[in-house]
Amino acid sequence: MRFDLTRDVAARPVAGAPVARCPLRPRMRWLPVAFAGAALLLGSGPPGVAASQGRPAGPKVRAELVSEVESLAPGESFWVGLRERIAPGWHTYWNNPGDSGEPTALEWALPRGFAAGALVWPHPDRVHAGPFVSYGYTGEVVLLTRLTAPRDLEPGARVTLRGRATWLVCAKVCIPEEAPVALTLPVAAGKPSADVRGAAVIARARGAVPTPSPWPASFSTTPDTVEFAVAAGGLDRERITDVWFYPARWGVIEHAAPQAVHVAADGITLRVRRGVLAVATEAPIEGVLVITERLDGGTASQAFSLRALPQDLAGSTGADPRPPVTLLQAVTLALAGGLLLNLMPCVLPVLSVKALSLVDHAGARAAILRRHGVAYTAGVLAAFGMVAGVLIALRAGGERLGWGFQLQSPLVVTVLAEVLFVLGLSLSGVMLIGGRLTGAGQALTTGLGYTGSFFTGALATVAATPCTAPFMAVAIGFALAQPWATALLVFEVLGFGLALPYLLLTLVPAWRRLLPRPGPWMERLRQFLAFPLYGAVAWLVWVVSQEAGPPGVAVVLAGLVLIGLATWLYAASRTVSRPWRRAATATVAVLALAAVALGPVVGTGPSSPTGAPVRDPRGPSFEPFSPRRVAELRAQGIPVFVNFTAAWCITCLVNERLALRSPAVAATFARKGVVYLKADWTTRDPQIARVLESFGRSGVPLYLLYPRGEAGRAAGEPTVLPQILSEEMIIDAVERI
Amino acid sequence: MAQNPTRRAFLVRTGLAALAGGVAVPWNSWAAAKVGEAAPAFTALASTGRSVSLASYRSKIVVLEWSNHECPYVRKHYETGNMQALQKEATGQGVVWLTVISSAPGEQGYVSPAQANELTTSRGAAPTAVLLDPKGTVGRMYGATNTPHMYVIDPAGLLRYAGAIDDRPTTRTSDVQGAHNYVRAALHAVAAGQPVEAPVTHAYGCTVKYAA
Repeated sequence: MRFDLTRDVAARPVAGAPVARCPLRPRMRWLPVAFAGAALLLGSGPPGVAASQGRPAGPKVRAELVSEVESLAPGESFWVGLRERIAPGWHTYWNNPGDSGEPTALEWALPRGFAAGALVWPHPDRVHAGPFVSYGYTGEVVLLTRLTAPRDLEPGARVTLRGRATWLVCAKVCIPEEAPVALTLPVAAGKPSADVRGAAVIARARGAVPTPSPWPASFSTTPDTVEFAVAAGGLDRERITDVWFYPARWGVIEHAAPQAVHVAADGITLRVRRGVLAVATEAPIEGVLVITERLDGGTASQAFSLRALPQDLAGSTGADPRPPVTLLQAVTLALAGGLLLNLMPCVLPVLSVKALSLVDHAGARAAILRRHGVAYTAGVLAAFGMVAGVLIALRAGGERLGWGFQLQSPLVVTVLAEVLFVLGLSLSGVMLIGGRLTGAGQALTTGLGYTGSFFTGALATVAATPCTAPFMAVAIGFALAQPWATALLVFEVLGFGLALPYLLLTLVPAWRRLLPRPGPWMERLRQFLAFPLYGAVAWLVWVVSQEAGPPGVAVVLAGLVLIGLATWLYAASRTVSRPWRRAATATVAVLALAAVALGPVVGTGPSSPTGAPVRDPRGPSFEPFSPRRVAELRAQGIPVFVNFTAAWCITCLVNERLALRSPAVAATFARKGVVYLKADWTTRDPQIARVLESFGRSGVPLYLLYPRGEAGRAAGEPTVLPQILSEEMIIDAVERI
Repeated sequence: MAQNPTRRAFLVRTGLAALAGGVAVPWNSWAAAKVGEAAPAFTALASTGRSVSLASYRSKIVVLEWSNHECPYVRKHYETGNMQALQKEATGQGVVWLTVISSAPGEQGYVSPAQANELTTSRGAAPTAVLLDPKGTVGRMYGATNTPHMYVIDPAGLLRYAGAIDDRPTTRTSDVQGAHNYVRAALHAVAAGQPVEAPVTHAYGCTVKYAA
């Protein structure tokens, strides 16, 4: 410990500061406090803070500087903290002090070359005083500053960092106090080592500093209220015991007014009386949202710095303001996007076959062709309308979904893969009747089969969905933020763009003449076009592997084999005698049903972890947790860290962001050979619940560290880490194993 | 430091707020005075024993100054002579200056009429009158939260300014010099028939020590 000159400096009330109830004094001159004067107090020991009820005498706050490092390194940055120990019953103030008060200030007088950042404030609490509410701290607070040492420091020298802290401390009455603070540290070459005591104090303080909100936020106003909407979806209302918004500025909200909080599936809304400053609600509102969450055996407060945008600017994502997209722009983009969809690997083959049938029958009656074109367009529009309708309805119900949501279901992806596979097989010629699905020439000449064209359109839409999102992001983002009628319009224009090329070919005879002459090349092209479809199938199988793991892949592959068999059987049976054909048709039906029926197995099964490590560039890589994997690793004597977490657990999220996801933790894990397993309890997996129970827990977070075993023998019981983690805690615990 | 309110307290509070349609029940009696609207009428007892009514000052500019002589922020402006200078400057131009003391008996800043007069003399203050508001009636009417908390009312009786005395929210006397005095600026604007540039500012200081 090298806190040589660091000591508690007794603060003194500023000369001339009030002392409640003192007799009226003649005009007094305020005396600036010289360091020398205050220095007299240095050796006087802790002041009598215990006598806090005795009104005057003695400072109410003891202030000192603490450092996270015990030596300085040239050019390096490090954290120091101004630690205020506040007498019971008294409080000091946050950056926005609320209804009254004044934040602590720290004026540095640093040696040449040193640079100091601004004060970093831990989140405040509410301090009630009569009808007023102040934002501040009771007990103890550490205000942080990041200092940077100059490059030209001489190793071996000693540097004293000085400053003067001034603060207002209040109970019912207020006393301005101030104190000189100083900290002397040696300069050492190389990486500075952590100060044992200071690092812990500073780590604790940093844990209370608001972290950037992972959720976008917006606000709307009425003449009397401000309502904030924080898109913190999927939180567990039962776990949340308190939510409070601390605005960064005065005048935005009434500080003392109650905040009506509603935690719903799609996020948190918070309504509060508006402050007196009208202009405050015209710009983004900044502040700190503190959410208190019930944990096993206590509560934890998590603070998030929030920047809420006015609702009309926030758009669908609530992200940074973007140039607003007009309806006309959105429609244009949607049309262009729809046209582009025709070239997507999943759509192109379907359409090409449609086009090929036109080549074959360019001489057919124009009226019939036109009707096919219209039927196809209607199919596309109907399918788009359906998907968009479902999406809009779900969003109205509070779900936070985007276009392409259907692909988040392994079941839908499996069925899509199977449909595209059938199409591919038909193009490959396995199924000779393939033409019918895609609008057979027969139908074109006879004028039958408009239904077929309609469903081709629907099929093209279904095939297009996987490709939609990335290309149409802007238009779709716009659409989803609009009233449902506008949203539907944008989606339908998108569909119209998809249908347009084929529609034009059927409507304008002149364009058909541009098509090449029919010939054997058509068969080759048809066969070739099967391959983009197989490609799309392969991609969808990969998607399933991400969503449902190896069991999902097994199911989808089994389904594809069954479909292959059914298709072959169906095609082969066309040439045999009638009873056989009937039997074959029945078998095909059974096989097809079986293939589809396998799908729900994927959909309903728990999403099984893939077992593959997940790389994280910012933190340690992790594998999904399973009790078997833990047993396996422990049998090999490998140390294991298990993070039991859930998407709806705020504390888990903050721990991951602030403590676990750090390069230092990753390096320590790597050096110690620790395998990091993540147990995601978002869906309340019973396997994980049993493990939690065995540790006496009913919920997350839970952090376990299994020590190293000797020579392949499993070692002892795991260490249970605290529910509120810091980087240092994890590293410390891992270092000890 | 952590003050974790109980779950029940949370539910009760949010429930109450929800019942009240999000606007607090206990709060709607507050902050009645709004800048740009008519200043609430009041009659209060002055330290001299006479009764003072706002209505009697119609056609004059009126300044309201909330005060608590023991508050360090008030002391800053009296010990430097800043407040007295502004009072003299204003009253010299026909402005009515009312110092209001809303501290309840037993609370910091509470004074008897005699003490109030003695304070005016000893500090060399120059208000038109010092109003004693121990029940906090006038204070709550105006939503006065701090000492000093300043208000400017125009000759038509409209509230034109509410907020701090200046832009240096500290107790440091050295900050008086060079500070932008909002009240002086508001008085000039009102006298010239111009809009007040910063009609609402963050009043800084000690909380008004109202009766519980």
